Amino acid sequence: MIRPLLVGATGLVLVGAAWALLVAPEEAIQGVPQRIMYVHVPSVITAYVALGVVFVGSVLFLWRRDARWDHLAHAAAELAVLFISMTLISGAIWGKPVWGTWWTWDARLTTTLILWFIYVGYLIVRAWAPGSRGARTAAVIGIVGVLDVPLIHWSAILLRTLHPQPTVLRPEGPALPASMLVPLVVNLAAYLLMFAALLAIRVRQERTLTALVDALEGA
Amino acid sequence: MKAIWLLVSKDLRLEWRTREIVTTVGLLALLLVIVLGAVRSDPEGAPAAMWVTYAFAATLGFTRTFALERDHLTGLRLAPIDRGAIYAAKALTNWVMLAVVQAVSLPVFGALFTEALWTRVPALALPMVLGGIGLAAIGTLFGGLIVQTRLREALLPILMLPVALPLLIAATSATAAILEGQAIAAVSAQLQLLGAFDILFVTASAVLFDVVLEE
Repeated sequence: MIRPLLVGATGLVLVGAAWALLVAPEEAIQGVPQRIMYVHVPSVITAYVALGVVFVGSVLFLWRRDARWDHLAHAAAELAVLFISMTLISGAIWGKPVWGTWWTWDARLTTTLILWFIYVGYLIVRAWAPGSRGARTAAVIGIVGVLDVPLIHWSAILLRTLHPQPTVLRPEGPALPASMLVPLVVNLAAYLLMFAALLAIRVRQERTLTALVDALEGA
Repeated sequence: MKAIWLLVSKDLRLEWRTREIVTTVGLLALLLVIVLGAVRSDPEGAPAAMWVTYAFAATLGFTRTFALERDHLTGLRLAPIDRGAIYAAKALTNWVMLAVVQAVSLPVFGALFTEALWTRVPALALPMVLGGIGLAAIGTLFGGLIVQTRLREALLPILMLPVALPLLIAATSATAAILEGQAIAAVSAQLQLLGAFDILFVTASAVLFDVVLEE
C-alpha cells in the first residue's frame, strides 16, 4: 500500500514541477520568479493540513490513550515542520525579487514563522523527553499550537501587512487564469499525496520502533 | 475556592520565608533592564524592553514554582482536590510573583527610559495585568509539563515564547501607545487580543492540566 503511494506521489511531484516550469505561462509583471508559486502555495496548504493532523492526532491520543494516534501526530508534526520550512524558504526567495526584501513582518509571514518555532519545540520535546510523558507533553503542545494560530494572525495584523490577499481560496472563486490554476492544483495534489506517503512511512516506522522496544523490554 | 486559597497561601508562604524566586527573578529582571537600557535607553525602546524583561523573568520564575513541589508532584497528585483548582492555584501563584517583579521593575524603566511612564501608571496597569495573566496561564501549563524532564530551564522558554508571541506583540503595542499619551480607547484592539488570549489559554490549560499531573 505504501510503495505505490510513494511512487505515485513522486511521479506527480515530477509532473507538477515540469508543468510549472515548462508549460505554465510566464506571468506578465513578475516574470520567472512567479513560478515559485507552484512550490510556495502547495507547501503552505500541505503544512496547514499537517497541522490539522497533528491537532486531531493529539486530541485523540489524550482522549483515547492509544499510541497509534500519538504516532500519527508525531509523524505529521515532522512533516509540518518540513512543509513550513519549504514555505518560508520559497517565500523568501520569491520575496527578494518581487518585494525587494527577503523578509517582512507581515501577518502571514509572522504566523508561519511562529508556527515553525512552536513545532520545532514539539520535535525537541519528542527528542529530549522520550516515553509516555514526552508523548503527553508533545500532545499538549500540538493542541496549544493550533489554538494559537488565530491569535498569532490577529496580532500580526496589528503590526502591518504586505502579503497579497488570497487569489485562489477566496469566497468569490479563484482569480487565477486556468493556465496557472491547473498546474497549481496538480502541484497541490502532488504535495498532499507526498505528505500522505511520507506520513504513512513515518507512522509505520514509529509503530515498528515501539514494537521493537516492547519486545526488547519483554525479553 | 478554599482549596485554591490553601495552595496559593502555601506557595506564597514558602516563598515569603525563603524569598528564593522573587530574589533571583527580580535580580534577573533588574539586570535585563540595565543591559537593555545600556544598549538603548530612549523612550521608544521602553515598551519592547519592558516586555522582553517580563517574558524572560516569567520563563525563569515559572519553572521554579513547580520545582517547589518535592517528589515529582506526588503531593499535589494525591491531594483530594479538583485538578482545575490545582491549576488555578499554581497559575495564581505564578501571576502574583510576576506582578511583584513587574511592580518592582517599573520605577527602573521610568528612571532609565521615559519620564512619561510616571503619569501613565493607571493606564499601563491594564496591559500589564492582562499580559501577566496570559503569561502565567500558558507558563503554568508548560512549566508543569516539563518540570520532570531533563533540561527544563532550557525547554520552557523555547516552548512558551513562541506561543506567547501574540500576547507580547499586543502588550508591547498597547504599552507603546499608552506611553505616547494615547487614551485607553485607542488601544482597545490590543486589549481585546490580550483578553482573548487570557480566556482561551486559561480555559485550555485548565482542561489540559490533567495531563500534567499524570504519573
